[in-house]
Amino acid sequence: MPNWTLCIDTSAGTTVAVLQGGEVRSEIHFDENMKHAERIGDAIAQAISGAGIKPGRVGSVVVGRGPAPFTGLRIGIAAAAMFAEGVGAQLFGISSLDALALAAFQKRSATGESSSKPILVTADARRSEHYWALYSGLTKNGAPILIEGPGVAKPAALDQKFSEQQVERTQVKISAVDLGKVFDAQILDGTASHVVEAMYLREADAVAPKVLRDFGKKVSG
Amino acid sequence: MSTAFIIREAAETDLEQIMALENACFSNDAWDQDTMHFEVVAHHTYYLAALEGDALIGFAGLSKIPGNEQADIQTIAVAQSARGKGIGKALMLELLKEARRLQAEELFLEVRADNPAAQKLYLNLGFEHIDTRKRYYQPDDVDAWVMRLQFARTTIGREPIVLGIETSCDETGIGIVRGNTLLANIISSSMEEHARFGGVVPEIAARAHLEALRPTLHQALAKANLSLKDIDAIAVTNGPGLGGALMVGVGAAKALSVAIEKPIYAVNHLVGHVGVDILERGQLETPTVALLVSGGHTSLLLVRDLLNDVELLGETIDDAAGEAFDKVARVLGLKYPGGPEIDKAAAGGDPKAVRFPRGLSLPKDMEKHRYDFSFSGLKTAVARWVEKTEAAGEELNVANIAASFREAVADVLVTKAVNACLDHKVPRLLLGGGVVANARLRELAAERCAAHGIELRIPALSLCTDNGAMIAALGAQLIMAGRAPSSLHFGADSTLPVTSVQTL
Repeated sequence: MPNWTLCIDTSAGTTVAVLQGGEVRSEIHFDENMKHAERIGDAIAQAISGAGIKPGRVGSVVVGRGPAPFTGLRIGIAAAAMFAEGVGAQLFGISSLDALALAAFQKRSATGESSSKPILVTADARRSEHYWALYSGLTKNGAPILIEGPGVAKPAALDQKFSEQQVERTQVKISAVDLGKVFDAQILDGTASHVVEAMYLREADAVAPKVLRDFGKKVSG
Repeated sequence: MSTAFIIREAAETDLEQIMALENACFSNDAWDQDTMHFEVVAHHTYYLAALEGDALIGFAGLSKIPGNEQADIQTIAVAQSARGKGIGKALMLELLKEARRLQAEELFLEVRADNPAAQKLYLNLGFEHIDTRKRYYQPDDVDAWVMRLQFARTTIGREPIVLGIETSCDETGIGIVRGNTLLANIISSSMEEHARFGGVVPEIAARAHLEALRPTLHQALAKANLSLKDIDAIAVTNGPGLGGALMVGVGAAKALSVAIEKPIYAVNHLVGHVGVDILERGQLETPTVALLVSGGHTSLLLVRDLLNDVELLGETIDDAAGEAFDKVARVLGLKYPGGPEIDKAAAGGDPKAVRFPRGLSLPKDMEKHRYDFSFSGLKTAVARWVEKTEAAGEELNVANIAASFREAVADVLVTKAVNACLDHKVPRLLLGGGVVANARLRELAAERCAAHGIELRIPALSLCTDNGAMIAALGAQLIMAGRAPSSLHFGADSTLPVTSVQTL
């Protein structure tokens, strides 16, 4: 019996899917890029029941590690980790940009284009910045091949770095289904990873006080 | 809400009143007196009466034949005038407990198809609708729902094992309780990571929670010597606290609940601090005033009933007391967290050396803010004192300043808490929150409470700081009170009011 896989990504909206041996058994998408904490429980419960299985049947949990705005991203990773604990499943992490890359390559082949240009995948990083990563294509089993990134940059900086002649850009939306497909391909390639650490790419916004004693002068001034 | 009714086992002498209520409630198909008499006195039945004074306002009966694994709810009735007070639920809970004591595995009942209120009560208690008997109730010609409760799938009548998850600030806490008994209380703190910033950085706290979740869970299960299969329910803090930090716990708890197919209870962090006393004393004595003091909160609560009646008397209007300790520690060149550092520095200092202001304690402030606190003025006063001393070229007596500052904080906290006890004639004060670690606060509270005949409760420090055990304990209380679980839709609420003990 092929393994049941629960796929979770909260790098943009809340998207959850259940796959069995590469076949999609259910998918739930909440598009709004907020309210992840509110949605995640229902999304998982509905995906599991939609697949017609008990939670205990899930053998692998796959989660998108971002990069993404932090607050939402963490909710998906925390949920994936705890679900895996709860059912004794294996836990795997995948770059959310890998799922976008797979969708982009699939879109290109669907339109019959024969371009072999690398694809630049971007995602909203807020604060007028984009997360980005550059992919050359897919492995034989269908896993995106990362050649540069991931990083975070202003759109102008990206334009400067990657000219239109060099790379192709497409707009695709992230889906947990694609995350699951990347996972299946990585399993076959032997590159699937148990690392689920969030990819923040930015430091926490906090500045240590320069001179601790400055504090008193500021408040009394 | 104190309820005025009592429940006791029914006796033959109640028969007259039971029949009057039976006839009033079931005019068309009431049992006759002989049937009822047999039911109430039979050995295989257990009948309860609910009374308001001498008046019987409800009754209910259970039938359980020895050796039979199935039991039946025979009947339940509540007087029209007494409905909506939870009497039906209270009667049912007692019958359910008795059925479990009698080792029933399943409990059945029939309910009219046209009585949605009763159906909802039974569904909330864990009954399932398994069959419909057509036209069962005559002469009304109404169908009966057959409902079943499986004891293996409910915790009613036994102590539930609850796992609590707390991530509202910089402590990842996972605790496990069985009813009122503490089984595990594991805390992973990110305090050291905040040290160089002199205060809790929300993003750093949230990142640390994510990393600490799994190891903390493993340790808690190992400590309790349990596996997740043994857990009956999950409880999680959904506020108040730091939004991003809370959300890590909420997401984790929901996924765990779905994975192990057990209910989830979203509970209030501050009420958790109050309820933790149950783990030490087996119960919470009410009414009590609770003073909760930490780096994030300074709140004075009046608790008449843990689950039903928690009132916020006052809170800080600016900094939390713990924050004031951190900030003053910085002014004095001491390390983070400020509480223990100032405690250390104050040793040997004169608490009367400098009379620092007691926030919101002047008569005009007391009118509007009798139970509120303010610490930002105090922190500024310390900063000015330091500047003035240095400008005058005098040497700073850190011990005296630390002792005087600490005295000002402890004094205002204890004064207002004791006032609250006296004003509301509550003979009890409970302390909670990390600042309870402060020796002078404990000492002053003990002194003043003793002087006014107020009983002081200070739980162990590991239960005073933020922890998952208090969240698990509050969840267990909700379950044992027969509360329905939360949905999966609730969110994190950084300003959740104390009146919201559970978010549905």
